[in-house]
Order: sequence, then structure tokens, then C-alpha cells
Amino acid sequence: MSVNWYLVVSALIFSIGAVGVLIRRNPLVVLLCLELMLNAGNLALLGFSRTWGDGDGQIFALIVLVVAACEVAIGLGIVVALYRKRLPIDVDELRELHG
Amino acid sequence: MSLQTAAWLVLAMPLAGTILIALGSRGLLTGKASGWLGTVAIGAAFVFSLITLVKLQDLPSEERHVASSLWDLANVAGVQIKLGIYVDPLSTLMILIVSGVSSLIHLYSVGYMASDRGYARFFAYLNFFVFSMLLLVLAGNLALLIVGWAFVGAASYMLISYWYRRTTATTAGIKAFVINAVGDIGLVLGTFFIFREMGVLDYGELFGGVQEAFPKNDASLVAAMILILVGAFAKSAQVPFHTWLPDAMEGPTPVSALIHAATMVTAGVYLIGRLHPLFEWAPTAADVGVITGAMTLLIAGTIGLTATDLKRVIAYSTMSQIGYMIMAVSAAAYVGGFFHLMTHAFFKALLFMAAGSLIAAMAGEQSLDKMSGFRKAMPFTFGCFVVGGLALSAFPLFSGFFSKDAVLYEIGQRGGWYVVVYVIGYLGSVLTVIYTWRMIFRAFWGEPCEQARQLEHGHLYHAPHPVNPMTGELEDSGVGFPGEEHHIAEQTWQMKWAMSVLAGLAVIGGVIFLPFGIMDSLETFLEPAFADSIIEHPENKGLEGLGIGLTSVLAIAGIAAAYRIWVQRPGTSAQLQGRFAAVHRLFVNKWYFDELIDLLIVRPFAWAGRWSRDSFERIVVNGLVVGGSTGVVKAGSAAVRAMQTGLLRGYAALVIGGLAAVLLYFLIRSA
Amino acid sequence: MTIHLSIVLWLPVAAGLLSLLAPGAARWISLLGASAVLAYGVALLADWDKAGGLQYVTDETWISALGVHYKLGIDGLNLVLILTTAVIFFAAALWTALREPQMPKPGLYALLMGLAQTAVTGAFMAQDLALFVVFFDLMLVPFYFLTLVWGGPQRAPAVLKLFIYTLVGSLLMLVGAIATGVLAQAGPGGSVSFVLSDLEQVTLATGSQHWIFLVFAAAFLIKMPSFPFHGWMPDGYMQMPIPVLAVFASILSKVAAYGFLRIALPLFPEGAQEFQELLMLVALASILYGSAMAFTSSQARLILGYSSLAQLGFITLGIFALNDRGVDGALLQAVNHALVTVPIIFVVALLAARSAGSEDIRDMGGIATRAPLLAALFLILTFALLAMPGSANFIGEFFILLGAFESKTAIAIVAFVGVAMAAVYALRLFITSMHNRVGPAVDPRDMSVAEGVVLWPLVLVILALALYPQLAMERGERAVEESLAKVQALHGSGVAASAEATAASGAADAGEAFGHAQADGEKAP
Repeated sequence: MSVNWYLVVSALIFSIGAVGVLIRRNPLVVLLCLELMLNAGNLALLGFSRTWGDGDGQIFALIVLVVAACEVAIGLGIVVALYRKRLPIDVDELRELHG
Repeated sequence: MSLQTAAWLVLAMPLAGTILIALGSRGLLTGKASGWLGTVAIGAAFVFSLITLVKLQDLPSEERHVASSLWDLANVAGVQIKLGIYVDPLSTLMILIVSGVSSLIHLYSVGYMASDRGYARFFAYLNFFVFSMLLLVLAGNLALLIVGWAFVGAASYMLISYWYRRTTATTAGIKAFVINAVGDIGLVLGTFFIFREMGVLDYGELFGGVQEAFPKNDASLVAAMILILVGAFAKSAQVPFHTWLPDAMEGPTPVSALIHAATMVTAGVYLIGRLHPLFEWAPTAADVGVITGAMTLLIAGTIGLTATDLKRVIAYSTMSQIGYMIMAVSAAAYVGGFFHLMTHAFFKALLFMAAGSLIAAMAGEQSLDKMSGFRKAMPFTFGCFVVGGLALSAFPLFSGFFSKDAVLYEIGQRGGWYVVVYVIGYLGSVLTVIYTWRMIFRAFWGEPCEQARQLEHGHLYHAPHPVNPMTGELEDSGVGFPGEEHHIAEQTWQMKWAMSVLAGLAVIGGVIFLPFGIMDSLETFLEPAFADSIIEHPENKGLEGLGIGLTSVLAIAGIAAAYRIWVQRPGTSAQLQGRFAAVHRLFVNKWYFDELIDLLIVRPFAWAGRWSRDSFERIVVNGLVVGGSTGVVKAGSAAVRAMQTGLLRGYAALVIGGLAAVLLYFLIRSA
Repeated sequence: MTIHLSIVLWLPVAAGLLSLLAPGAARWISLLGASAVLAYGVALLADWDKAGGLQYVTDETWISALGVHYKLGIDGLNLVLILTTAVIFFAAALWTALREPQMPKPGLYALLMGLAQTAVTGAFMAQDLALFVVFFDLMLVPFYFLTLVWGGPQRAPAVLKLFIYTLVGSLLMLVGAIATGVLAQAGPGGSVSFVLSDLEQVTLATGSQHWIFLVFAAAFLIKMPSFPFHGWMPDGYMQMPIPVLAVFASILSKVAAYGFLRIALPLFPEGAQEFQELLMLVALASILYGSAMAFTSSQARLILGYSSLAQLGFITLGIFALNDRGVDGALLQAVNHALVTVPIIFVVALLAARSAGSEDIRDMGGIATRAPLLAALFLILTFALLAMPGSANFIGEFFILLGAFESKTAIAIVAFVGVAMAAVYALRLFITSMHNRVGPAVDPRDMSVAEGVVLWPLVLVILALALYPQLAMERGERAVEESLAKVQALHGSGVAASAEATAASGAADAGEAFGHAQADGEKAP
């Protein structure tokens, strides 16, 4: 199995995630799409790790997972705070940084 | 004590007086103490002046010019300004006159100003003035002369605005100061022209080197001397820089006596006399001086004929007499000029003092229209007026007779076109006699006015409420106004003593220089100072005789004429006014000089200031320059700010789009 | 290598930081710091070797990659200016300590004033072009905050305008400074160096000299301010608090004047030569315009502000006479103007306190009736302001006008009009406030002891300098010659040489031709 197939799948998933970030207005969905993009990157890393035969890619993928988890935690926290303050849960409406 | 020490002490005494009075004025010096302290200080200066005189005469004639300096005020880039004095017969004569007459006026003021609330301030200022005048006269270089010149102007301003709550006084003060500043500028600019060629400021080096540095009557030197003349004219109230002098009568009468008769206004005469080597080397400039002096003499005389304010008549008289002196020293008639300066100091100060006494009797009223018949009420004051008037009119054997005669004789000796000036001088004499005796006859003859009648019964008149005599504004007795109390000579011994001494000097003061060579001590005394003069004065006994005769005749005839017009036939002056109405109007309006200066100078500057403030500042500076530059910055920042939309998707699009573009670029590059 | 200068330089900021930590005693700590700097300054004045040259040099490499050194030094040009700065900040600190005990946020105020003093002193001391630019730009920052927090009612737009406008000039100067460093390549082995002594060895191309001189001139003229770049001044002056205004008006403008002498003339002589007439005309315009505005304004602060415009016009005129006399005069006048501006601004505050808080002179009048001490002091200051002969200001103007006269006679003659106008506006200020009828809202009371303690020493310094102006002039002579050396080399023969020649010939001839035995009677000075 050449690594190309994995890269194509990774690119496909990345594009779907990117388009989702650009098009969707609900922050939760934006966060989901961000996750898609990150995991697409992970897939590419794992593929390359298998190609070169060492563990660098896999370790890097683990670090990416950690970062993704932290970022999602904070993002979800912000969404919950928005809900509590009864602000519109819409990325287009939320453009001024006060409140 | 050496000559230099004595001379420096002459300067130090009034300065110490000022400082001590100023420091003590808050409580240590009570009552008349500050007045006495001031008088003693000037008296001490007079004593030291006498010592200086004695020491000077001890020196052989060629050595009677001593320079002495304390330290350098500035000495960089080839310019050396020393704090130095120059003692020679001319400066010694001046310090004697200044300190002598000043001490008498101080004595007079001790009594005259006794009930003024700002007594100590008056004497501090008066002492400072004497210090400044002595500094001017003793200065040993042009820069220090200019310093003394300006100090005198400052002291004059401070004393003119002495009653500072009077708007008329403060306006007069600033007018005098600004005209004086214009004169200062003339002096400084003239100094620059001289310095550019000669590189020195000290008198000794200047006088010795002028003939090498400039060709005779060189344009640059003439320009310099005319600029210096501007300074002299501004200080000595010569046309057209004279408009401050009548207004300066707002100051208390001792100020008028001291500053505007005897000393400050003579500074211009001293200046021309002191710088005579330069003036003689630039005859064009000297001629300008002669012509201006002659013009002033006549113009001032005509205005004095029609003025109705007592002090202003005497002020115009001063202007006219100074015209004589300026004419004299510009025409190299030095002995005559300074002789007249001295006698004029005596009788003019006397006249002002007497006028002060008369005005006090009128409770501050100064208009001749309201005064009459004071002969019986104020015999002493009347006597002083008569003595002063006779001296001023050059009545035979009084001091003014000999001095005016000397002036005109020396001018006549020069011959040529100076004959015209000679004739103008005698015309002026006629005017002098008439306006002087017009004043005296109007004030002392005729029906006694209300104030005179009260005084005849021994009761000094008090106005119901103190007012400003010029405008009628109500005042009070607080500091900054003269207040209610006035002092006349008959009741105040200080005033009487001071006036008596001056009266005596006005009578016998002429004895130091008599015609036909009978007595020439003044000429011999001044000889070393003017030894380097290049102008000849050939003797002419016929001219001398003519002069004496003419002066006597004019004086006696003039007094008789004035008696006729104002005493014997009271309606005559009104008739004359009617017949020469236009001329009369010209004289009463002081030849419209104030209006001319207002039109030519004051209004344009005021307009310039207003235009700058309303138009230029608002439109150009604020609008264009500041608005422009800040506008550009603000527009730029507004443009950048527009990029901050806050739209998350927009930012994300930018990031992803940008990343894609970069990737594509490298992809294509590597392929 | 000495640390004297670094101590003098950083002590005010240190005192400011201490004050921040102890706001209760902030005024006194700040005052103590200012007095220490003043004492140090006087000691330096006494200790400075009159033989001249740059002394107490501190030279450390700061940013070696750019050739920027932390180099400080004192020579004839900045010695008296540094001492004047110390005097002025001391006076301001004394005023604040004695007269404004209820000021809010005293710690922050003390820190900002300390920073201002450090920046100004640093600008004077810096011997490195980049260091000078840093301090020059730093000078403005504390004043921005000082006005914003403690200023008048419309301070926000005024101070913003001031800041942006000045910064535009400073930005241009930064470009010029960088260009100078890069083009000159004055460091060892052709590397970039900003040290002034290195830059002075290199002569830039004529074209570069011209444009770089212009940008420096623009920055300095905006800072002074000079006509027509003075638009920030009226609003700025009206809104600043009094002690801040006293410092700002007196000493910041002098940094600009000093900048011309330290940087523009020695480094860009061809530029100076080329634009001499233009700058003299700008100076003349400042004199005339400033004086005209001064005698039509009725706000006391604006009268003083426009008067400063005129006075700085004189200083610029003296500098661009491009001869020893003009520059010596300009240096003295810089000191004089600073020393007179501070007390006279305080007097304006005193006048306002006596006329129900109004600084409009039409609301004043007759204050002298119960305030003879204040009147006497104000009169002395007025005479100094109008440069009456007898004051040190006159000596300064004498030298400036003499230098200008020898250089461009016509311009000098017109400049004399400014002298007469100065008499008018200065006396008008004095008379309308102190004399005439007592104004309706006026409460004339004399100076309190606290006010006297601040003002009388300043007036005594002014009087002392009037008696001996040589004190401020003699140390600067050699440095001025060095600063002008390159420009005068472009002229031909220096004016100093010709002046000595005429003086020598005049004196020699006088000795012979006078004939009298002069030497006997004369006492050697």
C-alpha cells in the first residue's frame, strides 16, 4: 500500500473541514470542522511515519491530539459562556470584542 | 581716595539707596525715613562727585580722561563688553548736575509726597532713576551706555505710571517706554554699524580710531550716527519722537522736575556731546541734528503758546529748550550747549517745583483756565515762578541769559548756513518769553479764583472728592492714586528750602561763563574733553555784542507784550485766536503728531495683530498645516481600521486563501 | 570613563520610581531627586575644565550590530544647558511640593516628571546620533500622559494634536538619522556607526546633506515651535497643568535649538549653508508673527506662548547667522529664555489665583494694590522678558543681532522691529494685570511664603546672570567654534578671525592716534 492513498484521504478530509469552517455559522460546527482538519493532519503524519519506518510522525500526532483537546475545551467553554450570557450563537454576529 | 574709587562710589550710593529702601519698605523704615534715606544717598553721591571733580582737576590737562572697569560682562567671539566707567570733565560736569539737582528734588519730594500711600516705592524708584542716569553718564563704552539708557527709560516708565490705578498714567507710561525702546533700537543698530568697521566698543579706542576706520562723511558712519541720533531724539523728546513727553506729565511733579526737565531728557544732548569725534567726522549726521533741534525748538514753542495745562506748557518749554541744546552740540557749540543744559536744569526744575506747589493749591487741578490771581495767596511760589520765568526768558543777568547767549553766539560763529539757525534761535526766544509769561500772568494776575481766595485766608482747598484731573474719573485715597492730601511750598519747609537753593542758582548760576571772556571757567574746565574737536570757533566780538543786545531786547519786549495781552487788555488773546483760527487749531492739536503716528504706526500694527489672530492663525496654521498633517495621519489610520471587521469567517478565509496561494506558488516554482 | 553623567541622567527616573512606591511622600522624594541632580550639576559646572573639549565621557557599546553606542559627554555646548535643565526641573518640583499638596496620583506624576527630566538631560548629553533620537522622541511621552491626566478641560484633542504633529517631525528625523548612519559608514572598517565623533569625520554627498538637513530642520522647527509649524502650541499650552507647562515651554524648545548646533551644523554643513537664508527668513517670520499674535491675545498663557515663538525666532536667527557671535548669543539666549519662562508662567498661575481662576487678562487689573512684592518680582521678569538692556537677555540679543547683522544685514534690521514689539506685549501683559482699576472679580493679595520660596531664587539667578553673563558665555566659546568650523570653511575665512583682526587694528591705531597718554590713567580690566 503506497502512502498516496492515505494522503488523498487526508487532503479530502482537510478540505471538507476547511469548507465547513468557512461556510458554517454555528461555532460548535466550526469547532467540529476544526477537529476534522486537525485529524486529517494526524492521518497524514501517521502515513508518513509508516513510510519512513520510525515513530516521529506518531509522536507528533499525539502532540497534535493534546493540543486539539485543549483548544476544544476552551472553545466549548467560550460557547457555553456565550449561551449563558444569552448572546447569539452565530459567528457572524459576534464581531465586537467587548462584553 | 583715588579718582576711580570716588567715581564708583558716585554710582554705588544711589544703588545702595534703592536696595535699602526696597528692603526696608516692609516695616523697618517708617514715616518719612525712606525719603530721608533716599535724599542722603543722593547727597552722598553729590559729595563724591565733588571729590571726583577735585581729583580730576589735580591731573594735568592731557590726562583728564580716566577709564576704570570692574569685570567683563561678556568677552567672546571678539566682542568685549566691560563693566567700565570713563571719567573726564564732561562726565564730571554731568554727574555734578545730576546728583546736585536730584538731591534738591529729593528734598522737595520728602515734603511734597508726604501723604502718598506709596511713599517708599517713590523714593526707591527715584533713587534707581538717579543711579541709571549716573550710569549712563559715566559709562565707558557704548554697550554700557545703552544699558544706562534703557535703565533710565525703565525708571521713567515706572515713575510716570507711579499712580498706577490711573489708566491715563499707565497708558502714558507704556507710550514713553515703547518710544524709548525705538530709540534703544536706533542706538544698538548704530553701534552695529560702527562695530562692523571698528570692532571696539570702548570710548577711548572708538574716538582714537574713527578717522582711520572711516573716510570722512562715509555713508556707513553717517547711517550709524543718524541711528544714534534717533536714540537721542527719542530720549530728548525731539520731533518726531516727542509725543511721549507731554503725556509723561501724568507722573507726580517731582518726577517731571527731575526726569523730564533736568536729567533724562538731557541724555540725548550728553550723547551727542560724548560722541562728538564721531559726529564731527560725519558732518551730514551732525547737520541732521542741528536741523531737528531747530525744528523742535520752533514747533514746541508754538504749541506752548496755546497749551492750557500748566505742566504741559512747561513740558513743551523743556522740549523747546532741549532743541536749543541739541542744536548747539550738533553744531559743535559744546560749551554753550552744556552751559545751557546746566542752567536749564536749575530754572526748569524750579519752575516744575513751583508748578507742583500751585497744582497742590488747586487740589490737583492742572488747567490754566481754572487758575488765576494767586499772587497774594502764594507769595513764595509766585516769587519762584518769576525767578524761573526770568531765567527762562533769558532776562539780562539771570543764568538763562548768559547760557542762551553763549549757545547762539557759538552757533553764529560757525557762519555759513548756520545763520539761518541763528535766526531761528532768536525766533524761538520770542516764543519762549511769550509762552512763559502768558503762563505766569494767567495764573497769578487777575481775580483770585476760589482756591486762591481760600488760601488767602490760610485754608488749603480740598476737592469734595478726588478725581483724575484729565478725565474727571472718581478716585480714592488708596495706594496707586495721589489721594486727597496736597502740600504747598508755603507750608512745607523741605519744598521751600529746595526751591530757594534752585532759585538762587537760577539767578547767579550764569557767573561761571560770562561773555567777552570776562569769566571762562566753564570753557577751561570742559576744554580737555573737547580738545580733539576739529571744528573752529573764531572769535567775533561784534557778533557777541549783537547777541547780548538782541537777547535783552527780546526778553524785555516779550514780557511787555505778554503783559499787554494777558493783563492790560484781557480780550486780546481771544481776538488773536479768532483771527488766526486755523493756525491756532494746528497749535492746540500739537501739530497733529499723535494722530499721524497713530495712523502710520499704531493702526497698521494693531491691524497686523488682528489679522494674524483672526485669519492667518485660524485658516492657514490650524486649517492647513496642522489640520493637513494630522488629517493625513487620521485618514491613514481610518483606512487601516476599516480592515478590522471582527468577522471570524473573513479572517479564516484570509488565512486559508493565503496559505493556498503560498502553497500553489511553491508548487509551481518547484515544478 | 566616568559614571558622573549616568548618575545625573538616571537619578530623576530612579527618584520617580521610588515615588511611585511611596505616593504619600512622592512630592518630597521627587524634590530630593531634583535637588541632588541640581547640586551635581553645579559641581560639574565648577569642575569642568575651561580649556574645553568633551569631558566626563561615558562610552559603552549598546547595539553593536548597528554601531549604536551609549555615549554621553559634556562640552561647552551642553554644559550650561544641562545645568539649566536641572534648575528648571528643581523649580517645578519645588512648586509642586509647596503649592499643590492635593494633587491626585502624586506617585505617577513624580515618575512622569522624572522620566521627562531624564529624557531631556539625555538628549543634551547624548554623543551618539541614535541615542539622541531616542531621547528626543522619549521626551514627548511623559508630557502626553501628564497633560492627559492632570490637564485642562479640553486636553484630549489638544494633546493628541500635539503628539501626532511632533511625532511626524520626529519620524522624518528618524529617517534622516538612519540615512546618515548608513550613508556615512563612519565606523571602523566602513561599518555603520552612529557615534557623533565618528560621523563628524565623514563628509556626506551634497545632495544627501541637503535633504537630511531639511528633515532634521523640520523636526526641530516643529518642536521649538517655529512659524509656520506652531499650530499645536496654542491648544497645547492652554491645556497643560502649570508646572508641566513651565517645564515644557522652557526647556523642550532648547533641545531643538541645541540639536541644530550639535547635529545639523557639524554634520550637514552644505545643507546649512544652502538653506541659511530660508531658515533666517523663517526665524524672522516667527519673530514678527509671534510678537503680533502676542500683543493681540488676551489669554495670559497664549501671550507667553507667542512670546516664546518670537524669542525662539531670535535664537534660530542667531544660529543661522552661521558665525561665532550669533551662535554664542543664541546659546546664552536659550539659557536666559528658559530661566525667565519658568517664573513668569508661575506668576501667571498666581495672577489667575487672584482673579477667580481666570487667566484672561481682561478679567484682571489692579493686582499690585495689595501685592507690592509680586508686582516688583513681575516687573523684573517683564523687563527680562522684553530683553531690556541690563538683562542677560539683552546681551544674548545683542550678540544674536550682531551676528545676523554681519551675516545678512537686511534681515537683522527687520528683526529689530521684533524688539520693539516685545516691549509692547510684555508691558501690556504687566499693566493690564497689575495696574489700572482693580478688576471686578479680583482679590489682590500678596505672595505667600511658599510662592516666594519658589520664585525669588529664580529671580535672583536671573539678576545674577544679568550682572555676569560671561559666566554662561565663556565656556561655550570653543565648542561653538568647533560646531561652526565646517560651515565657516565653506564660507571662506571664519568671521572670528576677521573680527580679531579688526579689533587688533582698531586698538593699535587708537593707541597711536589718540595722542594723549592713555596708558597712565587706565586701570587694566
